Amino acid sequence: MSEWNPRILAILCNWCSYAGADLAGVSRIQYPPSIRVVRVPCSGRVDPLFILKSLQSGFDGVLVSGCHPGDCHYISGNYVARRRFAVLKPLLDFIGIEPDRVQFSWISAGEGERFAQVVSKVTEDIRRLGPAKRLVKKT
Amino acid sequence: MSVEMELRAAACRLLEEGTVDLFIGWERGSLPASAVPVFITDPADADRLVFDITCGTNPAVYFTKDHRQFDGKRVGLALKGCDSRAMVQNIMEKQVEREKVVMIGVPCRGVLDRRRVALAADGREVLELSDLGDAVRLSGRGFDVEAPREAILADSCLACAHPDASVADLFLGAPGGMEDAGERRLRRVREYEALSPAERWERTVLEYGKCIRCYACRNVCPSCYCEVCFVDQNDPRWIGGTCEITDTLIFHLIRNLHVAGRCVECGACARACPAGVDLLLLNRKVAIEVLERFGEEAGMEIGAKPIMADFREDEKQEFIMG
Amino acid sequence: MLDRTALGRFISVLAGSYDVHAPVTACDGSFEYAPVRTAEGLDGTRTVTGLSPKGIFFPKDEVLFQYDGDGIRSGEASCRPIAVWGMRGCDARSLALLDRVFGSAVQKPGEERFQDPYWKARYDGAVIFGAVCVKPLSTCFCNWFGGSPSSTEGMDVQVTDLGDAFLLAPVTPEGEELLGRMDMLTQAADTDLDASREVAHRAGAMMSPPFSLEGLDRRLPELFHDPAWAGIAAPCVNCGACTFACPTCHCFDVQDEGRNGRGRRLRVWDSCMFSSFTLEASGHNPRARSLERVRQRVMHKFSYFPANYGERLCTGCGRCVAVCPVGFDIRKVLRGLGAPRDLKKD
Repeated sequence: MSEWNPRILAILCNWCSYAGADLAGVSRIQYPPSIRVVRVPCSGRVDPLFILKSLQSGFDGVLVSGCHPGDCHYISGNYVARRRFAVLKPLLDFIGIEPDRVQFSWISAGEGERFAQVVSKVTEDIRRLGPAKRLVKKT
Repeated sequence: MSVEMELRAAACRLLEEGTVDLFIGWERGSLPASAVPVFITDPADADRLVFDITCGTNPAVYFTKDHRQFDGKRVGLALKGCDSRAMVQNIMEKQVEREKVVMIGVPCRGVLDRRRVALAADGREVLELSDLGDAVRLSGRGFDVEAPREAILADSCLACAHPDASVADLFLGAPGGMEDAGERRLRRVREYEALSPAERWERTVLEYGKCIRCYACRNVCPSCYCEVCFVDQNDPRWIGGTCEITDTLIFHLIRNLHVAGRCVECGACARACPAGVDLLLLNRKVAIEVLERFGEEAGMEIGAKPIMADFREDEKQEFIMG
Repeated sequence: MLDRTALGRFISVLAGSYDVHAPVTACDGSFEYAPVRTAEGLDGTRTVTGLSPKGIFFPKDEVLFQYDGDGIRSGEASCRPIAVWGMRGCDARSLALLDRVFGSAVQKPGEERFQDPYWKARYDGAVIFGAVCVKPLSTCFCNWFGGSPSSTEGMDVQVTDLGDAFLLAPVTPEGEELLGRMDMLTQAADTDLDASREVAHRAGAMMSPPFSLEGLDRRLPELFHDPAWAGIAAPCVNCGACTFACPTCHCFDVQDEGRNGRGRRLRVWDSCMFSSFTLEASGHNPRARSLERVRQRVMHKFSYFPANYGERLCTGCGRCVAVCPVGFDIRKVLRGLGAPRDLKKD
């Protein structure tokens, strides 16, 4: 178990969360090297298919992060995204996918420290769950 | 006058007066205890119309298949509650022009599910079915039994929250309805939620493992009308075509998310499924989440904004770290 | 003769050398083919399963080959031979029709045809125990195609349920040979043979008289532009349920999956009902409209396939009628098209 490191896909919105991740890097804040980052213009760009396909491809977890409500660079992208996530998450839970596998956060460009904390928390949650098995595709 | 007779008179009148060019309703099917969609242009054919427990198909689907097939025509149609909500949803999404349709609401007390009928008859073929009100009489070669009405109603109907048309130009008969529908709707979902995640996963795999990826559910759905469905895209290919549970589940999860806030739980998908998958399990969960979180349901008001394209600034976001 | 009480043993002995499949009634009331090792759940009282047994020999999804850093491996099933218990005459015949497409039968003498190794691996060594239908359904119309509740085409052994025992009648040498190896069988008496004939006769009498399709396959092309198609196709929503439930439909799609140096090629069921069925790479679609696809289905089964193979691609099992969510009834369509044309809308 100590040999295995979770592989987590982090889908970060360009204007807030990605910038926050950048700030964490520039400030040399340490956090687990478990995430692979995909940058999107806005959390509203995130299609539930991205999340499900990631789980299918073998990612142990997915973190989606965007701007705080009210701060979206495109005004309302994150509001619409919020509705989408609000339906996706309970549905995944409903079919028995462990709730901690897919997590969401609002992280702003100035929250470098917080970004590191969120990644650490998510990594630990998924480490406890073990490698993802339920939606993984054979090939 | 029975609703059926009122419906025939209304359809005949609409066609005779030229208010509509075409009337869509149901007529007797060739199978025992069945009704099938009928497309009437001649007022004399209005006598073919029926309305009873066998009228399960949702006519709203014809407006979103074969796009523009009714262009230029004014169409009248008979609509149960769920059917009318599907029409309203399609009008809201600009797939149908309101002025081009004349919607006649008919009161619904539920429609039958042929698998449940077979079960109630112990697998024997039912050749005749009579609706006795609270019970039904099923008879075939060498048997004649009575069953409670609820034993043969479709899953969607037992938990139907809207048996009557949400919007109609004309409403026939007294409102229909199902007792305890709202409670029943919640109960199936809550029962599933009370299981452990591992049990839920196991049951989901067992149920959706029956899926043969025929896409009948998608094709009978009035809300599924993309010219190229995500499963048919291959540049990039989103999901595989196999019946492996991972591919199958992704199809159903995404389809449900695509119809989130648009699905009226008419049950056409579950009734069309040749493999008998309990499709409404996921649809209903999504519909309840949408209602609880956003306070809205699909297809209730023509002027409403599509739910998933809308938002309020303060909404439940307990699942988001922030 | 096989005593009813010995059926369980028969199945488990069979399962010793074969992968056995049979129609089973599940607790939710569904009646479908499933792998079996005992007689539990076997139900001879219900006539037609929801889905056909074609999936046993022509799976709804199968791996044709897969590859990775170590090379390519064929997906050809090196499985145990297959045995099916309780297959109806319509289904057994439909497998024989599929064998014309995928397998051994050559079209014309001297014409070599590609033989599908995946099909042959499953079908060639298979043993089919057919079942005489006791109670045809109102949807059964096998007699339109020369079939009957007691037809034997495609079977190795025909089984008649006589109540406390089954009569097993060999149809092919393979069937005969297999029966010879089963020690729990006894010789049938003349009374048993009489009883089985009575069962077949009674079942036959329950069927509605057939409608003659004589000459329809040649007339259909003339009716290609007939206005009747609009009315015929109107209720169809192209859901595809009919093609998936049908025992003779065999269209398939080939899909490739792969990334990072490993992958596989799959064959999955396809359907002429799907809007993308004839969608071309250019974006042109010769059958973009529902009417065109509905017409194609009827033409393929009752005109094109007969022209290519000399047989209609239908065995009258009735599943398409039973499963259609909008009540499309192929019998009604064929009666209408087969009747003298008077061009008035029907």
